[in-house]
Amino acid sequence: MVCWSGRLLYVDLSKGEIKKEEIKEDLYKKYLGGDGFGSYYMNKFVSGDTDPLSGDNALILAPGLLVGTPIPTAGKSEFFAKSPLTDGWGEGACGGSIGLALKQAGYDVLIIKGKSEKPCYLFIDDDNVEIRDAQHLWGKTTRETEEEIKKEEKNCSVACIGIGGENLVRYAIISSDDRQAGRGGLGAVMGSKKLKAIAVRGSKDVNLKDPSKVLELTFEWYEKMVNSQAFKDDGLYGSGEFLEWMNRERGTFPTRNWREGVFDQRQKIDPYYWAPRYSIKNKACIQCVKPCGKMFVIKEGKYKGTKLDGVEYETLFSLGGNCGNPDIESVAKANELCDLYGIDTISAGGCIGFAMDLYENGILTKDDTEGIDLRFGNSEAVVDMVEKIAKREGLGNILAEGVKRAAEKIGKGADKYAVHVRGMEPPAYDVRGIKGMGLAFLTSPRGACHLRSGAYALELLGKFWKYEGVDRLSSKNKGREIADMENFMAIYDALGVCKFSRGFFLLEGFREILKATAGLDYDERKLLEIGERICNLKHLFNLKCGWRREQVKLPPKIRIPIPEGASKGSYISEEEEKEMLDDYFKARGWTKEGKIPREKLEALGIEEFL
Amino acid sequence: MYVKVNADKCSGCRECEFVCSTYHFNVSNPNRSGIRIEKKGLTDDIPHVCTHGKDCNFECIDACKFDAMKKKDGIVYVDYDKCVGCGACERACPINAVWIFEKKAYKCDLCQGEPRCVKVCSQGALEIGGA
Repeated sequence: MVCWSGRLLYVDLSKGEIKKEEIKEDLYKKYLGGDGFGSYYMNKFVSGDTDPLSGDNALILAPGLLVGTPIPTAGKSEFFAKSPLTDGWGEGACGGSIGLALKQAGYDVLIIKGKSEKPCYLFIDDDNVEIRDAQHLWGKTTRETEEEIKKEEKNCSVACIGIGGENLVRYAIISSDDRQAGRGGLGAVMGSKKLKAIAVRGSKDVNLKDPSKVLELTFEWYEKMVNSQAFKDDGLYGSGEFLEWMNRERGTFPTRNWREGVFDQRQKIDPYYWAPRYSIKNKACIQCVKPCGKMFVIKEGKYKGTKLDGVEYETLFSLGGNCGNPDIESVAKANELCDLYGIDTISAGGCIGFAMDLYENGILTKDDTEGIDLRFGNSEAVVDMVEKIAKREGLGNILAEGVKRAAEKIGKGADKYAVHVRGMEPPAYDVRGIKGMGLAFLTSPRGACHLRSGAYALELLGKFWKYEGVDRLSSKNKGREIADMENFMAIYDALGVCKFSRGFFLLEGFREILKATAGLDYDERKLLEIGERICNLKHLFNLKCGWRREQVKLPPKIRIPIPEGASKGSYISEEEEKEMLDDYFKARGWTKEGKIPREKLEALGIEEFL
Repeated sequence: MYVKVNADKCSGCRECEFVCSTYHFNVSNPNRSGIRIEKKGLTDDIPHVCTHGKDCNFECIDACKFDAMKKKDGIVYVDYDKCVGCGACERACPINAVWIFEKKAYKCDLCQGEPRCVKVCSQGALEIGGA
C-alpha cells in the first residue's frame, strides 16, 4: 500500500483490550484520511446520547493522508471525540509529530474507548502496544510529561494533557511537540479516561507511488512557497502579521469581549512591535517550510524565563484585545500557562473577557473574584485567571465550564455577555463586519470556528478561489459560498495540509500530488465530493447528538452595531441570520430545519449511517 | 564540500529528513535520513549531519571492520553491499552524524554534489559549506 498503512488500532481502556484491524482500500478512496476517517469512525463508534466524559466516548487520532510524505506543509493530524464543550462534533488538528509516528508504527487510525481506573498512558512501539501506569506523570505539565516519557522511551512522539485535561476543563487541549489540538475540549476527554498520554515509536517506511515525481513536486511547491509574500510576512511576524490591518482597515478585531471591533491599545501586541524584541527564531509544525510559529522568549522582568511557541494571532486577540490587555509580556505568560496546563487559549481568553465584562457591569464583584480587580486591561489578572481556570479554583472553576455553562450558573442576565455558538467561544473575527463568517460560525460542526470554512480570508479580501466581488457587509448569497468553502477545507484536513497553504494548492494542486503519492487521480470535482461527504457526516453526527436549528444562533452581542472604525454600524440582524441559514441549508440540499434527506445521504454513499 | 549547519535558525520542521530518505531510498522515513534533527527541550532544534572530515579524522572509516565506510573525492559514504550494521561507525563518530537503523548505517553522502536537504531548508539552517 502506498501512503497509507492499511490498519486501524483499537484500544479499550476499561477492558484492557487491544485490537488491530485492516482498513479496506475502498474506505481510503472514499475518505482519504484525517477528518475523512474521523467523520466515518466517529459515526461508527460513538452514539449521539454518549456523555462526552464517559467511557463510551471515543478519542480518535487520524493523521492526514500526506503526513509523512515530503510534500511541504502536509504534517497535520487530527483528534476527534464528542466535545464536552458543545456536546456535539469535536475535532482539533495538530502539527506535532504524533500522527507521523502513528502512521510509521503502521496505523492510519487510532481509536481509544473506555476509561482506565488509574492514570495510564498508551505506548505504541510498532506492533507492540501496551497500556502503562502513569501515576508518576499525573499532575505534571505538558512539557514535563513529554520530557519524562521521552526519557523512558527514546525516539518516540508524545501527545499528552496537562492539569487542564486532568481537571476536566471543558476546553482542555491535547499537546504534541508543544503544538496543540486546541478546540472543543478533547484534552478533557483524555482526562476523563485517565489517559495522560499517547506515546508512539514508529519505524516503518511511508511508501510513495512515484518517489521521484514526489520530490520534483516537493521542490516545485517549495519554490512557490518561499518566494511568496506570505512566506516573508509569516516568517517575520507570524500569523498576527495582519493584526494592524484587521483593526485599522477592517475594524473587525473583537475587543473587550466583543464590545468593539478596534483595539485602541494594540500597538504593543502587534508582532511588528514584539517580534523583533522577543522572537529568537521561527518554529514550525512538522513538514512545514513556511513556519508561522515564533520562539518567544522573555529574558528579564517579572515574567523572565517565559518561553513559548507563539504568540499566534488568535491568542493576541483572546488573551490580548478581548481582555483589553495591552501588555504583550502578560499575553505571552498567559499563553505559556495555557500551553503548560493544557487549555485552549481562545476559549480561555473568551471566558476571561466574559468575566471582565460581568465584573465591569456589576454582575460579578470582588467577592466572586477573590479580591481580583477583574476590569478590562488588568494584565496581571489575565495571568492569574488562567491559573485559576486550569486549577479550577474559585471563579476559575465556573469559567472552566465555558461561557455558556458559566452564564447559566451565574445567572443575573450574564447570558447577554456570553459570546459563543453552541457553547464554543469564537476566534478573532468580529462577524458583525464579516457576515459570511457569521454564517460560518453557525454552520461549523464544532461551534464558532474559523477553520472549518476558512472563509475569513475570502470575506475580508473579497476574493478567493472561484469567488470574487464578495461583500463582507452583506448577508446575500452566503449559503453556497460557505458550503463550498467547508467542502474545500475538509479536504485539507483529510490530507493533513495546513490551511495557510490553501492559496497555494487550492484543490487543483493536489491532483498531481495525489497521483504521485497515493496513486489516486482525483480532480477538483472529485475532491469536493469527498469534502461534501465529510461535512455531511459531521453534521449527521451532530444531528444524532440532538442538534436543532433553534439552538444555532449568534450571541446577543452580534445584534449590537460595531461602535467605531471601518465597520462602524454593522451587525447581523435576526432576519439576516435566518436568511443566511436558509440559503445555506438550500445549498447543502438539506431541509429547512437542517435535516439531511435520505436521498442526499444515498447520493454521497453514506446511507449506512441513517 | 559539506552541509554547513546554523543550528540557531533551525525551525524543527524536519523537511530535510523526508526529502533525504526519499531521494536516497525511494521511501519517506526519517530513520533512513542522512541528516537528523535533534529536538532538545522547547527551544533547540539541532541538525546533525556529516561534515566529511572538517570536524573529524574519519574515525568512522577506521572503525569499520567490514570496509563498508568509504571515501571517494572527499565524500564519506556507506557501501551497502558491505555494511552489516554493527554500529562501530556510530560509536566512533565524534559529531554524532552516523546512525544505525535496521542493521544498516545511515549518513550524508552529499547527493552527488547537490544536497537535497539544503534545497528545502527555508530558514537558512543548512547551507553549502567549503565549496
